[in-house]
Amino acid sequence: MSFYAPFCLPFIIGAVVMFATILWKWGSWLYRLPHADKMRILRGLPTTRTLSAAWEVVRESLLHRRIFRVNPLLGYMHMSLAFGWFLLIAVGWIETVAYLGFRFVPLQGHVFFKYFATGLEHKPVFDFLMDLLLLFVLSGVALAWGKRLYSRAMGMRRTTKHVLGDRIALSALWFIFPARLVAESLTCALYGGGGFLTGSIGAWMAGHIDAGVLIYLESAAWWIYSSCLGLFFVALPFSRYMHIFTEIPLIFLRHYGLRSSEKESAYDHFQIEACSRCGICIDPCQLQSVLQINDVQSVYFLRDRRYHSLRLQTADNCLMCGRCAERCPVGIDLNTLRLNSRDTMRNVPDEKRYDYLQGVDRSSGTGKVGYFAGCMTLLTPRILLAMERIFKASGEEVWWADKEGGVCCGRPLMLSGETDSALKMIQYNTELFRKHGITTLVTSCPICLRVFREEYRLDGIEVLHHSEYLLRLMRSGRLNVTHGAERFTYHDPCELGRGSGIYDEPRAVIEAIGELLEPAETREHALCCGSSVANTAISDGQQLQLARSVAAELDATGASTIVTACPLCKKAIARGTQTEVRDLAEIVAEHLQ
Amino acid sequence: MPVHFGYTISKPRAIDIDHNNLRKSDEILREMPELQTCIGCGACTAVCTAGNLTQFNFRKVHTLVRRGEYQGAYEEMNKCMLCGKCRLVCPRGINTRGVVMLIKRKLGDF
Ligand code: SF4
Ligand code: SF4
Ligand code: SF4
Ligand code: SF4
Repeated sequence: MSFYAPFCLPFIIGAVVMFATILWKWGSWLYRLPHADKMRILRGLPTTRTLSAAWEVVRESLLHRRIFRVNPLLGYMHMSLAFGWFLLIAVGWIETVAYLGFRFVPLQGHVFFKYFATGLEHKPVFDFLMDLLLLFVLSGVALAWGKRLYSRAMGMRRTTKHVLGDRIALSALWFIFPARLVAESLTCALYGGGGFLTGSIGAWMAGHIDAGVLIYLESAAWWIYSSCLGLFFVALPFSRYMHIFTEIPLIFLRHYGLRSSEKESAYDHFQIEACSRCGICIDPCQLQSVLQINDVQSVYFLRDRRYHSLRLQTADNCLMCGRCAERCPVGIDLNTLRLNSRDTMRNVPDEKRYDYLQGVDRSSGTGKVGYFAGCMTLLTPRILLAMERIFKASGEEVWWADKEGGVCCGRPLMLSGETDSALKMIQYNTELFRKHGITTLVTSCPICLRVFREEYRLDGIEVLHHSEYLLRLMRSGRLNVTHGAERFTYHDPCELGRGSGIYDEPRAVIEAIGELLEPAETREHALCCGSSVANTAISDGQQLQLARSVAAELDATGASTIVTACPLCKKAIARGTQTEVRDLAEIVAEHLQ
Repeated sequence: MPVHFGYTISKPRAIDIDHNNLRKSDEILREMPELQTCIGCGACTAVCTAGNLTQFNFRKVHTLVRRGEYQGAYEEMNKCMLCGKCRLVCPRGINTRGVVMLIKRKLGDF
């Protein structure tokens, strides 16, 4: 039995081009990984991480569990295409084995088995199974067509605007399975066999179309099917469908502990090309929903970076709020990638730049507990005063790092891509903390908190956000507050919530004082205040618009006071509402017993 | 002996706009037109974290740059820590951190 027909050619060429390109891409990315990352992979390979990675591949790359959580219909669409196609290949392979035993069959023999197997006795079980799977995939294709027309049904207000290469690949993909249905049905019409789908359509065709015509149609249909496959395969590595083959190694590498950092690295390619441009990240972006800015969202950022057409404006226009990363079904570390793009585009280290920091020390007081107000708290003196009262009431001896003016924590510089310069600040502040021998560092600014925890080497010094510190004081009985009937609502600052995972402490503090009312979008889904230091692209008016929309959601709870735990959020939201906006420390200080 | 109150005062100086090359300045204002609405109030400088520790004066630098005086502007702007306090106090809502980065980008070679 021969497994070759001229119509196989487009498929074979496409498959060769695709596999060669993918191998070359994987190979060059892996080769260019930093040495430490390569060692991580080698150490991780023989451990159980490999198994858990494999299990995640099944869950995410085939079943798309995370997309199901976004929207069941959308999840079904992705699953039927990915899992259905996978099953068609797997069951198809079993089918050839069942028919021919274990013998070598070239790739096209598996793919076009129906065409070559006409002379064999039929096995109805496989006819049925393969038809069922084809129907499964076709239902996904139908949904994809439907999504073009009406995306809201799948919970998406906006879908991605695609580039030309994507459109070619997408069109080819849409026609692969209908073409397969027609081709297999025509073969069934000529030679019999087939299941409930191809068999019935084939029988109908045999009854209505002249046999001479059928022969021509059959050959044409297989050509079309093979060409669609070939076209899709050639376009795949250069289009968004590269995600199919990139997500798999990405999951393994992630399990071995590889991460993106402030500097670009070869690992980033795995993240960037794993983006399927599903567009799920568009709807949560407030730049889109409030400001109608439509070309900077993560999906477009990744696309531009991948095709080397990233502009500074796009890289800059992001609040780094993390709302998109929270939803991304592939779990791409979107903020870090944007950060290291900014680093590449802007980082101009200047050795002498912060020489003036030498010898500066404006700290005051002594104590094992250090308090770092940060630039933003220094601009909101009420928070500073509240902290002062709290420290006094609890009898804490405090060393004030920067009450009389200090040096920035360095996070704003990092967020702007000036990573190397930020190191000067990190070094300066670290030395300052060490010099004064503190064992606990409290800050009321989540921006500082995050960089202290992630970038500073502060072994031996416990870093606390004031919400954690306040709760600790209250729980240990060193701070007593009065509980009243006042109704509060709480705004989760991005850097504190999604950034540092602190959601419960501020809520516990508020509940000790009054009633807490949650806004519509809260915790992981909380909105950004709009004044993030990460964004230097939007105007003051646009920041105000964002603040108003956030404030409106908080006001809708009916609370008399909006509480937040970030000086910048406080200032930003206060501009958007008449309601009083207070920091956590302020309400605690006001309700001291 | 003169008494020091901790203030300094800028020496009087004349800027000849007709002789200065305003090309860069025009470029900067084209990208950041809102900078023209600056009223020179100095609030940005009053709260400045870097200005608190050194002679860096944000208002002065961006005003000089707008007048075509680029000498040393890049080095001066490099003292900024991008902390963002100035943006919060500017009564004209100028995107001051954007201004710092824009001036550095345009005047890197001066
Ligand atoms: S970044 Fe994530 S959510 Fe956005 S398009 Fe890519 S895969 Fe989808
Ligand atoms: S981090 Fe926030 S602002 Fe930036 S793209 Fe994502 S959702 Fe939009
Ligand atoms: S961002 Fe720069 S200019 Fe503005 S207050 Fe901070 S240090 Fe000063
Ligand atoms: S605060 Fe604003 S208006 Fe005032 S000098 Fe600075 S930039 Fe100009």
